[in-house]
Amino acid sequence: MTTGVVEAQELTKRYGEVLGLNRFTSSITGGITGLVGPNGAGKSTLFRLLAGQLKADAGTLTLLGHPAWGEGEFRRHVGYCPEHSALYEGLTGEAFVTTLLRVDGFSRAEAEERALRAIETVGLTEARGRRLRTYSKGMRQRVKIAQSIAHDPELILLDEPLNGVDPVGRSTLTELLETLQKAGRHIVVSSHVLYEVERLTDQIIMISNGRALAQGDLHRIRALIDAHPHVIDLETGNPRTVARFLGEWDHVTAIEFPGPGRLRVRCRAPEEFYRALPPLVVRERLDIRSLTSADDNLDAVFRYLSEGGR
Amino acid sequence: MSGELSRLGTIAALSFRGSLAGLRVVGLTAFAAIPSLIVLALVSARPPSGTLANAALGLFPSLTLPIVVMVIVLVISIAQFRNEIDNETLVYLSDRSVRRPTIVVGKYLGALGASLVLVVPASLLPLAIATVGGGTPYPAAVPAATAVAAALAAVAYVGFFLFLGLVSRSALVIGLLFGFLWEELLPLLPGHVPQLTLIYYLRSYLSGTLMSGPLSGYPTTTPATSAVAVLLAVAVAFVLAGAAVFRYLETAPERTSA
Repeated sequence: MTTGVVEAQELTKRYGEVLGLNRFTSSITGGITGLVGPNGAGKSTLFRLLAGQLKADAGTLTLLGHPAWGEGEFRRHVGYCPEHSALYEGLTGEAFVTTLLRVDGFSRAEAEERALRAIETVGLTEARGRRLRTYSKGMRQRVKIAQSIAHDPELILLDEPLNGVDPVGRSTLTELLETLQKAGRHIVVSSHVLYEVERLTDQIIMISNGRALAQGDLHRIRALIDAHPHVIDLETGNPRTVARFLGEWDHVTAIEFPGPGRLRVRCRAPEEFYRALPPLVVRERLDIRSLTSADDNLDAVFRYLSEGGR
Repeated sequence: MSGELSRLGTIAALSFRGSLAGLRVVGLTAFAAIPSLIVLALVSARPPSGTLANAALGLFPSLTLPIVVMVIVLVISIAQFRNEIDNETLVYLSDRSVRRPTIVVGKYLGALGASLVLVVPASLLPLAIATVGGGTPYPAAVPAATAVAAALAAVAYVGFFLFLGLVSRSALVIGLLFGFLWEELLPLLPGHVPQLTLIYYLRSYLSGTLMSGPLSGYPTTTPATSAVAVLLAVAVAFVLAGAAVFRYLETAPERTSA
């Protein structure tokens, strides 16, 4: 039974011998969802499957309850902003958006009105009469976003939309996505720049090597991480003494000596570790100069999961 | 229905405009001008008027139709899908709610229009130059027949090459092989083999339409009307085949990374 706006079950896509997606399973229920992973992880393959550019080799993929592969009126309810920057270079920005709206079946008058509105929304009003071949990378990103939202779709698929956009443009687009979400639109946005997604949403899907590593909000994923060994680096004047005390704790699974005056501790309950360490330091007068841990941002979470918890 | 026609017109206009944009159109225009330039060179040599007229007309079946028209149509038609698949612009059309056969027909019409803009003048201008330069006008049927033959060639070749661009990543090479080997060598073979080429029907049309001159006298058993019917049928068949293929075609470029 399909319940999400996007449902992927055991989705597999091969490029010859290379696996683009490997039994990818995920359910996207709505709002803004971030698809996070490094280049080559399978994000664009998933978007191409969603856009109907590719056909899955195995598994199922639906969007808005319709199979992603194939044509249909349901595509009028979907907007897609591809990652690549190719455009119909000879057209102006305005003509580009208007033409695609006309292809979607809008009357000339309505297409022109909607195109102007979308172009204004992404901040390209002044450049709307210029040919696309003269657009900068950031402007190209924005006009691609304009064509993806101009028909007021229910589901918007944005593949690396902030790539190449300047800081002011990023801020504008981030606000735009939040506005669209508030208007009830569902947005799936991919990025390999993790803080971008972190700013947009805490609903994330982490993808690597074609598989969904984790899905949920950041806190759930954090809990998932906490179920695995957590790495903490310490600088101390007496590593062996500190290691002796820490080694007695049940949740510490391994202690390494990566260099002079340094300790690397792996533990299964980092919160317990952080709670118990200060009393130990005070009681035993241990010389611990610094303590660093994978911080709580998405980057650290992703690195951890994509390395398989090593 | 009117909605689908409107979409068809939009896609055709987009394809037409794209076909006649950028450096490609400069190159194709220069290529289309070759017969005219040859006739201009002949005019400057001041040959007898009748010789000039026949020489200019003789270029049509030997150069303009089999090489100039064919190459122009090949380049324009293959670009419709192959280039758009390779540079990923096709997704802007294929992810819309428009039916995929509409995209194929729209692109066919756009490519045909763009081809006609180049191949009809390429066929008529040499005759006009010869007329002005030599002072002997052609009978009205001659430029009419050459223009129609060029248009028919575009109608049929656009259909075939469009299909080729959809099904093959080596469409340009295959298209050139088709144009210069299949279309040129098979007509030299005996029996019914020449009937397997499109150029046979184009020459049959010319031969059946014009009773005298360099364009008549082609050894054919096919009447002009039948030749036209075959050329139109070929175009329709390949457009339909293209529409069928495109419904099941992955439009992302081939790659090995995700």
